[in-house]
Order: sequence, then structure tokens, then C-alpha cells
Amino acid sequence: MNLLTRNALLALIITIAIIGSIAYLIDRLNRERAADLAAIQNQLATDTLSIETQFSLLEEASCENLTEGNVLSREVSTLGDKVAVTEERLGSDDAQVLQLKKQYTLLQIRDYLLTKRLAEACDLEPVVVLYFYSNEGDCPDCDRAGAALSYLRETYPSLRVYSFDYNLDLGALSTLIAVEKIKAPFPAFVIDGKRVNGFTSVEEFEPKFPKRLFEMATSTATTTSKR
Amino acid sequence: MYFELISYPFLFAAIYFEVFLLLTFLSGPARASRNRVFSDATPTVALIVPCWNEERTIRGSVDSLLALDYPKDKLSIVVVDDGSTDNSAKELEAFKGNPRVTIVHKENGGKHTALNAGIAITDAEIVGCMDADSFVEPNALKETVPYFEEPKVGAVTVAMSVHQPKTLIEAMQNVEYILGIALRHILASVNGIYVTPGPFSLYRRSIVEEVGGFRNGHNAEDMEMALRLQRNGYWIENAYKARVYAQSPKSVPSLIKQRVRWTTGFLRNVLYDYRDMVGNPAFGVLGLIVLPLGFFAIVGGIMMTFIVVYQFISDSIQTYSTTHGLPLSYLLTPRFSFDLFYFPVTVFVTLAMVAALGSVMFIIMGKHISKTPAKLSLGVLGWIFLYGLIAPFWLIRSIADVATGTRRPWR
Repeated sequence: MNLLTRNALLALIITIAIIGSIAYLIDRLNRERAADLAAIQNQLATDTLSIETQFSLLEEASCENLTEGNVLSREVSTLGDKVAVTEERLGSDDAQVLQLKKQYTLLQIRDYLLTKRLAEACDLEPVVVLYFYSNEGDCPDCDRAGAALSYLRETYPSLRVYSFDYNLDLGALSTLIAVEKIKAPFPAFVIDGKRVNGFTSVEEFEPKFPKRLFEMATSTATTTSKR
Repeated sequence: MYFELISYPFLFAAIYFEVFLLLTFLSGPARASRNRVFSDATPTVALIVPCWNEERTIRGSVDSLLALDYPKDKLSIVVVDDGSTDNSAKELEAFKGNPRVTIVHKENGGKHTALNAGIAITDAEIVGCMDADSFVEPNALKETVPYFEEPKVGAVTVAMSVHQPKTLIEAMQNVEYILGIALRHILASVNGIYVTPGPFSLYRRSIVEEVGGFRNGHNAEDMEMALRLQRNGYWIENAYKARVYAQSPKSVPSLIKQRVRWTTGFLRNVLYDYRDMVGNPAFGVLGLIVLPLGFFAIVGGIMMTFIVVYQFISDSIQTYSTTHGLPLSYLLTPRFSFDLFYFPVTVFVTLAMVAALGSVMFIIMGKHISKTPAKLSLGVLGWIFLYGLIAPFWLIRSIADVATGTRRPWR
């Protein structure tokens, strides 16, 4: 084998090895990042369960748990952004992503219920939005609605937004959808207990929120990502 | 994201070429060329300087040739005034009476005619061609001439750089020239050089005459001559320690103009006159790797630009459509996250970084082997991050010129 052939073949093997290793390592890195998220989710689930258990033991919600609940809500919110990024990285059909989304959806539902119980116990009226989006091509305005909610939650930190993938195959989510009577067209919202469908603009969206949101000077922020 | 997939073949080719070059650098022929011991033979040399309207630089160029460390009785200089309309002729009067300098005045006919006119009046064994805006270090000839000991060597190229680059655009070109030093050294070891650059290259006169002298070569006479030497079975060597400073364009438009000439010269020579060499195993590395990848690099440069522009426009449209209606004060608020989770590590970005690091490695290699005095950091940064913004202009214009048959003047 002459020098040219040898170097050309060797270069081909080395190049394939370099590119293959990079592709493998990046996929592994993304999966490890996703696994880290799963671990965080498990921890948050345990913390949520702990507060819920305390409620059950005392047979009523304690306002002493308010701060703890708010911290949990903020962590759930941060996690939502990371789940969305992981979905972009690995693809929405990826089994690991679907598992993460299911865990995250459960966490949101539990946080939502906890927020309601704490609000009742402590005589608070947080403004809560349940946001249902669809990734099946039947929601052209979902991206805009997500951006508008991000803007609103940054502007009004007391606003709590919980976002759900309507098509996610999860029993608890189906129950929530049934309880809240969510139907197409999307995006669909439950804003402070009232159902709203469709999104046109922030100007038309804002008046659907209760006035107390805009009057609140301080807040307990909970946010979630668009998806 | 799926659009990125189009870029993978080009990134693959770039990394493949770099790995191939590195292997060749480490192989026997390149190692042998670095350890070669030459004789002290000093054949006669005539250095030809074609000059067309070079009043500002011609004296400095000829002075640098007169200062070359070479036996005075073996070295002559022929300046061919190719119908200059400025004060070049007046400047050249300074050398009248110097027995080592011959001045020829002729009607303007182009660089190749000036070179042939110079070759015609000399009987030196070795002829050198130097652009009238370049200048040489005193060692340049002694480092170059010994390569002609091997009878099959038809030409020898040198190590070019930019003398004391002052601006960013000069620093970027200097880095590119220094990268070229490494590439030429490596490719010369396997006879893969396709251009004998105009700033300074030496030729065996008998071989230049045998192959028919210089031609216009689509305004790239140096590339055409190199390909003709290769087609006729001659070797092109590289003297990586022979330092020559080339004049580099000082503005972006003049850089684009120069590169359009180079790129169209490459495309036209290879497409029209030397197409048979592309993919031809008879021409070894040149035919199988260098020329095909030269095309691929031009297409790849344009495709990568297209991908980046497409992504930018599509992202902008997406951002506008999702955020229009939101207050500008909210949209323009910068948001940074120092969470490593969000650090974008993708296959595309990592492969591009590997390719860029490979280039930087060859730049450092070029500087090291040629001992070129240069500060590389600013030029390297500019070359990696800014060159890609300028290169698409000359690549696209070159393709358009070749497709439409547009011919542009030299300057």
C-alpha cells in the first residue's frame, strides 16, 4: 500500500472515529443532563409529598408551609424551562423526554393543588393560569401565547402559570383536563377559574386576568415554560 | 436543526483534510524534507520583476533583491516595465548603471508577457518571479535554490507572510499566509502543490521553456504554470524557511477583488484547462484530494453561508412572529443564565470547533517551522470569526463570474 492510500484510509478511519465520538459524547451528555433533571424532579416530588403529608397529618393546611411551598413552586418553574430545553435537544418523541414530561406534569399538578390548599388555609387569592398547548400542528398561536405568558409572569411575579401538553398520555393530566372541561381550540386556558380558548394579542389577553393581579405589589412567583 | 445536516458533509471534509495533512506531516517524506542536507551549489539565478504601475514599491522590492545573500556573479535582476503609465520608469532610473540590474521596457501585455520577456533575455539556470510589491529576506534565495538539486523539480515555492501587519485585515491575512506555509510544506512532500505564488517563486528555466513559458491562465498565471508543471510530471517543492513578504490588500473591497481573481482563476483553470487532473490517480494527492477538495471548499463556503443566513432569517421571523405585540422594554432586556445546563453543546458547534482548532494547529505549525516572527492571537481571532463574514462575498461573486463568463480586470 503506498503512502497516499495509507494516509487517505487512515485519515478516513480517524475522521469517522472523531465525528462518531463527538456525536456519541454529546448524546450522552444530553442524556446525563436529562437524567440530572429526573433526579431533581424526584427530589421535588419528595418535598411536595412531604408538605402534603404534613397537611394530612394536621388535617388542615398550615400557613407555616407557605414559604416552603413558594420555594418549591419556584423550583418547579425553573425545572420547566430545563425540561423544554431537553425536549428541544433530544426531540419530543424521545422516550426519556416523554418520561421527564410526565414526571414534570405530575409535579405541576401537585404544585397546583398544593397552591390551592395553601391559598385556602392562609386566605390568599393567587392568580393561577392553567395553560394547555398542543404540539400536534393544531395550535398555530401556541408559541405566541407562551411568549405572552412569559412576559406576564415576568411583569407580574405573583402570577402562577402551569403549562400542560394536552396530548401527553398521562392519567392525572386526563383527569385534570376532564375536571376543568378543557377542549379545542388551542391554546386553552383556565384563568383564575374561567375557561378561555384562543389567543390573538397581549392587549386582548390581559383584560381576561383579574384586576387584583395588576394591583399586587409583591408576589409569590411561580412560572412554568410554554411547553 | 435539520438544515444543519446539510453542513455535515462539509465539516466532515474539512476535518478529513486536516487529519490527512497531519498524517502526511508525520509521514516519512515530510520528515525527510525537514531533515534534508543540501549541497552548497550556487547555480546562476535571474530574478524577474514584472512591473506595471508600481511606483510606490518597485524600488524597495529591487533593493531587497540586491540585498540577497547569494554570490553576486551568479545573481541578476531583470525588471520588466510592462507599459507602466505612472512614475515606475522614473523610479527604475535609480538602478541604471547597476550591472546586476537589467531594465526592460515593453508595451503593456499582462504579467505573463512580462515574465516571458524577462526569461527570454536571460540564460540563467534558475529564474525567479517576484511581484513588484513584495520583498524578500536576505536568506530567501539560499534557502530556495538547493531544492533544484533534484532534476525533476520544476519549481520551488517559499514561505510568505505579511510584513508587520498593522490592521486587523492585514493580521487576518498574515494568519492565512502562515497557515499556507504549513500546508505548502506538507503538500510539497507528496507533490500536491497547485500554485506557485506570484510574490516569489523559482523555476528551472529549461523546464519553463520546455512547457511553453507563462500564459495568462485566466489572470492566475502562477496557478496555471503550477498545474502545467504537474501535468508534465515535474515536482513543485517548498522552501519553508525562505521568507518573503507579500503585499496584502488593506481594505475589504480590495481583498474581495483579489480573492475573486484567485478563486475564478482556480475554477477556470481547473474546470476548463485542467479538468482531466481532477480525480485522476495519476496525479496522486493533487488529483485525488487537493483539487476535488478545492471545489468542495468553495461550494461548502457558500453552502455554510446560506445555512447561517437561512437560520438567522428564519429565527428572526420566528422571534418576531412569537413576540410582536410585547413591549420593547421587555424584549430588549438582556437575560443571561450562568447555569451550565443551558450551555449549547451540539454536534454542529463541536465539529466546527474541532475544524477551527485544526486550522489553528496548522497556523502554529506554520509559524514554528518557518520561524516567522508574528503575533498570531488577534489575527487568529479575526480569521476564525470575521473571515467567514467576508469570504462568502468573493466565493459567490466568483461562482457568478464563472457562470456568466464575466471577466474582471486585474486591478
